[in-house]
Amino acid sequence: MELSPENPLSAEPEIETSHPEEFVEQLRCVTDSLPSRINIDAEGVEQGLAKLVLTLIEFIRRLLEKQAVRRMEGGDLSPEQIEELGLALMKLEAKLHELKTQFGLTDEDLNLDLGPIGRLI
Amino acid sequence: MKLYAYCLVEDVGALEATPLGISGAPVRLLEMDEFAVLVSDFNTETVAVSRENALAHAAVVRSVLDRTTPLPFRFGTVVTEQQLRSYISARKPALQTRFALLRGCVEMSVKIIRELSRANSAHAEITSGTTFLQEKQREIRGSEQSAAEAKDISTWLQDQVKALTRDEQVIVRPSEKLVVAAAHLVERAKIPQYKETLAAAREKRSELHFLVSGPWPPYSFANIELEFKSQFRVS
Amino acid sequence: MSSSFDQMIVTEEWDSTDLSLLETLDHVLNRGLVIAGEITISVADIDLIFVGLNVLVSSVETAHEVLRKRQTE
Repeated sequence: MELSPENPLSAEPEIETSHPEEFVEQLRCVTDSLPSRINIDAEGVEQGLAKLVLTLIEFIRRLLEKQAVRRMEGGDLSPEQIEELGLALMKLEAKLHELKTQFGLTDEDLNLDLGPIGRLI
Repeated sequence: MKLYAYCLVEDVGALEATPLGISGAPVRLLEMDEFAVLVSDFNTETVAVSRENALAHAAVVRSVLDRTTPLPFRFGTVVTEQQLRSYISARKPALQTRFALLRGCVEMSVKIIRELSRANSAHAEITSGTTFLQEKQREIRGSEQSAAEAKDISTWLQDQVKALTRDEQVIVRPSEKLVVAAAHLVERAKIPQYKETLAAAREKRSELHFLVSGPWPPYSFANIELEFKSQFRVS
Repeated sequence: MSSSFDQMIVTEEWDSTDLSLLETLDHVLNRGLVIAGEITISVADIDLIFVGLNVLVSSVETAHEVLRKRQTE
């Protein structure tokens, strides 16, 4: 793009890409994340609270898994301890999955965007 | 009486023809201290996030770009004149510093998409607590690698243009297809060279998909609050 | 990053296939100088939606109002 009187900076910005559909798909999150309707009746509020709570639990659960793997790799756990830890976390994962289903939430729903901290999940 | 604020500018005298703003309201220049604010009167309760309003906001901010570099406000900034004056007088030094950084520059935007690699190899059957943790270990290693790759792409991009940029704001999202979203602060005179450099760089990474847009007013570099936070280490 | 949007945020139908519009939205909605004050944003239907914790709290407060009113009806 040549800067010239015919092409001032105040003209509309150029957009240049060889894959417009792909970028449309990805950028739609900006508008898609504004849901079209949310009810402020009791059910809607419960839904919103459940989503918030489950997202935080999910975050902690992921951290626990990472920590457990690190301990396992670190070599200071006995085989029995590893097995117990694994079973406990397996149950936690299953329980959380059950709760998600109960509230009709998907993994996508629990994707809390904290800006600079980035996606948690 | 409320105002819709579009951007802050260093005092530039009168405005030339400015497009109509939100809900078709006329835009005027309000002088404040050594700065000025582009505003329009705002009478309703709420600002509609409509195509027309978003484009109007963008057009108003863009209209001053030939004469000066504005500090754009985020869409939806509705304030009273008094609130504006307090805000500006309380932050004068930070605003001056910010204008000094942005003077003579525009923003160019680069977004990169890469295909996400599918998890390799069949998943082991989870028969016990131990195999559960081993499978998690495999998943974690995979996502760590993904994060490293994403960081590499981001670093590569920065290296291509760092001689031409005054500042950059980059968001890296390793688990997304849109892995890197970068904003570059580029001096106006260097724009043609910047575009050429990018065009050449893109050729070398055909596995990546690029979107380059601009020039924009420096939206990504306008926020002074972050600067304040990093100075005093407030998290 | 706390949202500076106040509580009245609603959505309308977008032509979300317009790349130029999406890029513009990415710049004007997500970036730019954020100033404390009354920032009220609405979209077509008058609905309350969640954008962040602040908004969630105020939605709950408002919802309690609604619930309380219902119980007395």
